[in-house]
Amino acid sequence: MFMLSDCRYALRLLAKSPGFTALTTLVMAAGIGLSLYLFSFINTMVFKDLPFTDGDSLVQISQSRHGALEGNPLNYQDYQMLREAVQGLDEMGAYRNVTVNLSGRDGAVRYSGVRAEPNIFQLTRTQPLMGRTFNQAENLPGAEPVVVIGYDLWKSQFAGASDILERQVKIDGVSHRILGVMPQDYLFPNVAELWLPLNESPAAVSRQQAGRVYGLAHIKSGYSTTEVNQQLALLMERLAQRYPQTNSGLGAYCHSIPLSVAEDGIAVVYSMQVAAVLILFLASFNVGNLLLSRAIERGKETAIRMALGAPRARLISQLLWESILICTLGGIIGLLLLAWGLEVTERVTASFSYGRQVFWFKFGIDAFTLKVFLLFLVSTIFITGFLPAWKNSGGDFNQVLRDGTRGALSKKTGRLNRVLVISEIFLSLTILIVAGVIVVSRYLEERADYGVKTDNILIASVLLPSSRYSQAQQQVTLFNQLQSQLQQQSALGDVMISTALPGMPAPVTAIAIDGKEYLSDQQTSFPRANHILVMPGSLAKLGVELRQGRYFSAQDEGQDKATVIVTDSFVTAHFGDQSPLGKRIRVVDYDGQTPHWLTIVGVVRHVSQDKPSSADGRMPSVFRPYSQLPQAQMVLAMRLKSDVHSATLALRKTLQSLDPELPAYRIETYQAFLTRKTGPMRFLSGVFLLFGCATVLLTASGIYGLMSNTIRQRTQEIGVKRALGACEQRIARQLLLAGAAQLLWGGIPGLIVGCGLGYGMSQVMATPPQALFLIATLLILIIGAVVLTATWLPTRRALSMEPAVALRYE
Amino acid sequence: MNNLLIKIDNLKKVYYSEELETHALSDISLSIAKGDYVSISGPSGCGKSTLLSVLGLLDTATAGRYVLAGHDVSNLPNKERARIRNQEIGFIFQSFNLISDLDVKENVALPLTYRRDLSKAQRKQWVKDALDKVDMSHRAKHYPSQLSGGQQQRVAVARAIAGKPSLLLADEPTGNLDSKNAEAVMQLLDKLHADGATICMVTHDPRSASQAKRRLEVLDGRIVSDRLQLNPQSEDKHHVYAK
Ligand SMILES: Nc1ncnc2c1ncn2[C@@H]1O[C@H](COP(=O)(O)OP(=O)(O)O)[C@@H](O)[C@H]1O
Ligand SMILES: [Mg+2]
Repeated sequence: MFMLSDCRYALRLLAKSPGFTALTTLVMAAGIGLSLYLFSFINTMVFKDLPFTDGDSLVQISQSRHGALEGNPLNYQDYQMLREAVQGLDEMGAYRNVTVNLSGRDGAVRYSGVRAEPNIFQLTRTQPLMGRTFNQAENLPGAEPVVVIGYDLWKSQFAGASDILERQVKIDGVSHRILGVMPQDYLFPNVAELWLPLNESPAAVSRQQAGRVYGLAHIKSGYSTTEVNQQLALLMERLAQRYPQTNSGLGAYCHSIPLSVAEDGIAVVYSMQVAAVLILFLASFNVGNLLLSRAIERGKETAIRMALGAPRARLISQLLWESILICTLGGIIGLLLLAWGLEVTERVTASFSYGRQVFWFKFGIDAFTLKVFLLFLVSTIFITGFLPAWKNSGGDFNQVLRDGTRGALSKKTGRLNRVLVISEIFLSLTILIVAGVIVVSRYLEERADYGVKTDNILIASVLLPSSRYSQAQQQVTLFNQLQSQLQQQSALGDVMISTALPGMPAPVTAIAIDGKEYLSDQQTSFPRANHILVMPGSLAKLGVELRQGRYFSAQDEGQDKATVIVTDSFVTAHFGDQSPLGKRIRVVDYDGQTPHWLTIVGVVRHVSQDKPSSADGRMPSVFRPYSQLPQAQMVLAMRLKSDVHSATLALRKTLQSLDPELPAYRIETYQAFLTRKTGPMRFLSGVFLLFGCATVLLTASGIYGLMSNTIRQRTQEIGVKRALGACEQRIARQLLLAGAAQLLWGGIPGLIVGCGLGYGMSQVMATPPQALFLIATLLILIIGAVVLTATWLPTRRALSMEPAVALRYE
Repeated sequence: MNNLLIKIDNLKKVYYSEELETHALSDISLSIAKGDYVSISGPSGCGKSTLLSVLGLLDTATAGRYVLAGHDVSNLPNKERARIRNQEIGFIFQSFNLISDLDVKENVALPLTYRRDLSKAQRKQWVKDALDKVDMSHRAKHYPSQLSGGQQQRVAVARAIAGKPSLLLADEPTGNLDSKNAEAVMQLLDKLHADGATICMVTHDPRSASQAKRRLEVLDGRIVSDRLQLNPQSEDKHHVYAK
């Protein structure tokens, strides 16, 4: 059916009108390029199998709370129970993320690593580049400390020394024997550069003392993720019955590792994929319509050719050749644009994380992308070729020849054009609402108020190794010294020290309020709040406004003191209008020891530990003085008096003088930290802004093309009606009303679907429902304006003709 | 002369396109009385359709004066021109120009829907009258594509006369019809004329032209002959067959 001569004929037609060919090709390139981009991008981020043998069955097991996939680690004992009972999982292992200080050739450096059970390497079917990995014996509590290091660490800290094996390296102040080096780019499970044994035996300790771990496993063949998740849920339910106090509401689930990282962002991912498919349709419809209108122009010619005996199949084949040529050319251009776009993406996403990027973020044209490309290509060819072919060859050619009636636009074409306009309105509105939600969400995020003054601050983290700072007093002394010495540096102003600055996740604990009755002793029946420790003075210097009472002062210092400052959000939630000052609260410990009551001495304005719009960001906080509960890891926030570089130097120098083996890490400005937090959103919104613009252009040009076609085809009909005495306003009104009707037919479903997707997204984004309403209203107005303009312009052109001219119009 | 329906003086129509000036009508003066039956003939491209368009207010003249039923209509606003076309003038085209989405009855009713001075019942009655006159009532529910050419043209005639216009303009009404159907349409026009209609008909079929009372010949945008035919039919029928 696909005769070569037809291909040549189609080529000739395309060459004859280079403008038309360029336009359609570019529309197709944009459509295929943009939607393929989203698919490729999303696939790499969350859906692609990890690049290991059996990577498709590799999953991570995490904890859920009341059905919400929190992505938190599980109690090691709970995990042991799962390991014994679950049916569908094989090779179950456990790990937890750690950051360690490694004393290398330039002093101490921070590294991300994991503590894991020995099978972590076997799970990925990866052999070390050199040496060996650790074994069961080395994983026992109290075994000799050993470590397996990553390729980059080996290169940077040991200059790639070939005699690296069996060397000793100090990690957190303890000597570790290096057993092996992993191959380049091996960062499993996400950004690890060194692997330590867990050295824990969960059975030997109480439930409360057991550590927290993520599970790793392969799904057994014959089992689906859903089945395994059902088993896990059931087992966890049994645990919750046995340990209601700690476990009620807790569940477990398995996910591929990338999906575990995406967490509830998955709603956004699905919306993005819908938008991607829709924009492909939009582009196809536009090209199909352009081809269609050309086919209509050739309608008489087609009819004559058929009258002369050309078989219908030949005509369809010519039309299909045209779309094949345009789609393929456009597709190839789109693919080239995509390759470039993905390269840019790799660079941009690398800036989202402070250290290393998770190892599967390798953007590029892969087998999946090519498969989707082919699928897209075939669908676009089908859509673009099918439309004109259907219109042109299905009809009775004889009627085209003898058609003497006016309303020259045959019924079928008219209906098809209407369906196309309605579809374009529907598609564009849906895409635009999705894009709008993302763009507005980013706008709100950038303006987010964390409740503190964030400008001109340098932040850094310090972790005291437990080997040398096991005593609380040692920790307090060090941070006190650090603070006072730093403040003497000329490059630095005020120094604030806290376990978590606003914007940084803090441990969330259950809180009991004195005098309130709680349903049970279960952890889950208490309200929750961020639990943050600060050096006195830090809150005021950070600009956290005092609402009632006082800030911490010297009188709160010491482990024997029990005072607390709460946020106004905490007061609103738990005290209503009552003054909370002097009231007592306590942190509910797992082991339910004697209540340790804390007296509220002050109320400060709410600060957000996560994006202020997120649920975590709205969580109230309680602050306690550092000296009442000393911690090993603290974050410094230093007001800058000079540039970042000299401030960093001053920090390093000060630390060096206090303890040469103590590194500061994650040194950056507070602003840079917060900006990086919104980096993914910024990027996403940039992509969607591009999407939105492309959509508006595609829609505007597409609808204009359809409308002007429809109206041009009705020129004679308009001439007849005017000859019969219809005045211009009447005709214009009719055409505009028809346009408005199409706007409603496409717009209302578009609003429904778009708002549905938008609502789903707003659950995890910063967009409140009112904003969604505004976005939808604004967009329907924009699309409405587009439709009416696209109707009005050709209408005016048709009416500017003298009726006599319109009547003669061919 | 209150019997005068049309009076045009020194009418000119020039088309400008791509640096090309076409003088479609040059300096035409013409009077048509109420009840006249005028045929306009001449070679293709001589300006017949243009003249008819100007007479029917479908096109504006480049220069000259046009008085219709005692009113100067040369420079009327579009809205007023539309009203006159609707109520005073009926058009019949060579290619029928029925609206394909509308059935026969709706096509005939179309010009009536543009006016507000008619009640629904009146409109219905007028449509019925018009269809009766052309003998197409039995096809009222058909769509144009379901009719033969002759039937379509009869519906077009019904549409032209439905609004009881004072002037009927027909541009080669038989041009797309076979001789038998052409004959039927000509008889219809005859009958309308007998009932008092003023008719202006373009034709280059001498046999059709011979039916008219008055015969204009146009050549290169000018009227080159204007004569009355006292006994229209017989003389020219003979002429045709002689040829
Ligand atoms: N819209 C137009 N633009 C330019 N020239 C036109 C236009 N309409 C008609 N003409 C020219 O005016 C002349 C008269 O046309 P017309 O009145 O249709 O002739 P007839 O009906 O006698 O065959 C022709 O030369 C034609 O080419
Ligand atoms: Mg003509």
